[in-house]
Amino acid sequence: MLSLHIDSLIKSFPGLDGPVLRIDSLAFSPGDRVAVTGGSGSGKSTFINVVTGLERVTTGKVVWNGRDIARLSETSRDRWRAEHIGLVMQDFHLFPGLSAVENVLLPARLARVADAAMVTRAYELLKTVGLSRPGQKIETMSRGEMQRVAIARALLRKPGVIVADEPTASLDAEAGETVGRLLLDMAAETKSTLIVVSHDQRLIDRLDRRLTLRAGRIVADSMREEVAA
Amino acid sequence: MIRFILADLRRLWAGAAVVILLVALATALGVTVTLQERALRLGSARAADKFDLVIGAAGSETQLVLSSVFLQPAPLPLMPGEVLAKLSKDSRVAWAAPVGFGDSFAGYPLVGTTRALISSTVSGFAEGRMFEQEGEAVLGAAVKLPVGAEIKPMHGTAATGGETHAGIVYHVAGKLRPTGTPWDRAILVPIQAVWHVHGLGHEHGHEEEEHHEGDAPEVTPAAAATDEHGHSPLEAAQEHDHENEVAAAEEHDEDHDDHAIDGDAPIVEDFSADTPGLPAVLVKPKTIADAYKLRQEYRSGNTLAVFPGEVLTGLYATLGDAKLVLSAVAAGSQGLVAAALVLVTVTHIGQRRRQIGALRAFGAPRLSVFAIVWLELFSLVALGIGLGFLAGLVAAGVIAGLFTAESGIVLPVEFTYEDLQLALVLLGVSAVLSAVPAILAYRQSPATALRA
Repeated sequence: MLSLHIDSLIKSFPGLDGPVLRIDSLAFSPGDRVAVTGGSGSGKSTFINVVTGLERVTTGKVVWNGRDIARLSETSRDRWRAEHIGLVMQDFHLFPGLSAVENVLLPARLARVADAAMVTRAYELLKTVGLSRPGQKIETMSRGEMQRVAIARALLRKPGVIVADEPTASLDAEAGETVGRLLLDMAAETKSTLIVVSHDQRLIDRLDRRLTLRAGRIVADSMREEVAA
Repeated sequence: MIRFILADLRRLWAGAAVVILLVALATALGVTVTLQERALRLGSARAADKFDLVIGAAGSETQLVLSSVFLQPAPLPLMPGEVLAKLSKDSRVAWAAPVGFGDSFAGYPLVGTTRALISSTVSGFAEGRMFEQEGEAVLGAAVKLPVGAEIKPMHGTAATGGETHAGIVYHVAGKLRPTGTPWDRAILVPIQAVWHVHGLGHEHGHEEEEHHEGDAPEVTPAAAATDEHGHSPLEAAQEHDHENEVAAAEEHDEDHDDHAIDGDAPIVEDFSADTPGLPAVLVKPKTIADAYKLRQEYRSGNTLAVFPGEVLTGLYATLGDAKLVLSAVAAGSQGLVAAALVLVTVTHIGQRRRQIGALRAFGAPRLSVFAIVWLELFSLVALGIGLGFLAGLVAAGVIAGLFTAESGIVLPVEFTYEDLQLALVLLGVSAVLSAVPAILAYRQSPATALRA
C-alpha cells in the first residue's frame, strides 16, 4: 500500500496554450480505492501517466510514500513503476504468440526478476482470476479472458498501487461486471491502493472516492457516501 | 526474451522470410563473385603449375599460354622445327616436348606430344599404359572412352565444320589419373602421328606432301590449332604464301584425307633439325637460373618464351578489374538491401510503438526493449548472411562444375580466412544497422507510444 501526495503539479505539452493538467494539491491514503472520471480531453490519461511515472511533470511534485518520482530519471521511473505499479489498460496490451502465463511473466522476465516463486505465483494468479488453461495462447481467448490475464500480470509483482485505465470499456456488460469485481477483490486481497479511470457507472459506484476532472483540473473530489447523499 | 522474439517472428513469418531472403541473395551475390574469382585464379595457376616454360613463335604471349597449357582451340603461328631440336640438345633442359593440336574426337581435343611430357606431368595411369606405337593414344581422366576404344580423329571440330581423317584410327592404350587441368579432357597421341596425319615428318618413312616442297620451315604445315575456316594456322599461313590462295587451301584440305599413319610403327622422339614447324614446345629447365636464361634467349627473333605464371599474372590483373566491378555491383546491392531493411524496420518500429510503449509501461527496462528490437533484426540479418554464404558456396560450386566440365580445369571453391573476415565485417555492419531501430525504440517515451 502506498500513499500519494501531489503538490503544485503542472503538465504542459509544447504547442498548446495552457497546461493539460494542473493540480494544486491532492492526496491518496494507502489502500484508497479511487475512481477518476471526466469527459474526453479532461486530462484523465495524463493524470494516470503522471502518477505512474510514464510521463514527467512540467513542474510540481508526485510523491509516493515520500519519494518524488518527478525527480527520477526515466530509467529509475521505469524501475520504480515495475516494482510499485500494476497497470491494467483498456486494450489489454497482451502479446500474441505467447500463452497466458507467458504474458503474465513477460515484464518480470524482461526485468530479470522472474524466479521460481514468481512463476508459481503467475500460475496461482491465473487460477485466482478464473483461468484454468495457463498455456492457452492469447489470440484464442475472449476479451473478458484477456482482461483477466492483464489483471494477473498487473498483480504479479505484488504492487502497492493498481492503476486501471478504462478496464471494462471494451468488454460486454457481463464480462465488465466480472472484471470490475475482480479488480476490487484483488486490490482488497493485496491491500493495494486502487485508481480506476472509468466511464462505467457500476464500477465507479463500487469505489470509495470519486475524482472528477474537467479541462485538466479537478472539479470534484468526493467520497461515495457524499455522492449517495 | 528469446521466446518473445520467436513468437514475434512466428507471427510475422512472411516479413521475416522476405528479410532473410533479401539479405541472403545480396550476400550470395558477393560471395559467389569472390569465391569464383579466387577459384579461377587457383585453378588456372594449378593447371599451369607443371609447365615451367613455354616456347612458341613470336606473337601473343597470352594466346601461346592459353593454347598450349589450357588447350584453348585457337590458331597459333608456327615456329621452325629446329627450335625443338636445339632445345632437345640443350644441357639446361631436362626435357622439351612439342605439342600439336588441331584434331578432335567426340568433342575432345587431340594433342600430339611426347611420352616424356606425359610421364613428367601426370601422376600415373588409372588403367592401361603409355602409348608405344604410332597408332596408340592415351586418354585424359575426364575423357569418357574406355581403354581399347578406337579413335577416328576429325580435322578441327564438328562445330567448325571439320572433316574426319579417312583411314586414321588410334587405339586407346591407357587412361591417365586426374590432374585437374584441361589435359584431363585431352586425347594424347604421339606427336609423330599428328605430323604424319597431316602429311609431315616424312623423314620417318611416310609419304611426302608435294606442295610443301621448297616452303620455308616456318610455314610448314603441322598439327596446329584450326582457324575459323577449319585450317590449321600453318595452312592459313601457307595460303598467304601462295599466289593462288583459294586453290592452295582447297588442295590442302583434300590433303587431310590423303595421309595415313602406320599404327604399328615405333615412336621416335629424337627430334632433328628437319622436324616440322611447331605451335609450341613445353620446356622443363633443369634449374630456375636455366629457366630465366632460356626465357631470355628465346624471346628474340622468331620465337617467344614465357613463364605461364607471368602470363597468368597479367590475366589476373584483368580478372581483378572485372572482380572489382562485380564486387562493386554486389556491394551496391548489399547497400541497397541494408538501406531498405533499415527503412522497413524503422517503419515497422513506428507501427509497433504501442507494443513497445506497453512493454515499458508494464515494467520492461529500456535496455530490454533495445535488446528485443536489436536481437530480432540482427538474428534475421545474421541468418540471411549465413544462408547467403551457403548459397554463394553452392552457386560458385555449380558454376565451377560447369566450367570444369567445359575446360577440364578444376576450380577449388572453398572458404578461406578472408571469407571469415568478410562474414565478420558483414555481421558487424548488420549489428550497427540493427541498432538504428533499436535506439529509436529505446528513446521512445512509453506514454507517447501508448497514445499513438
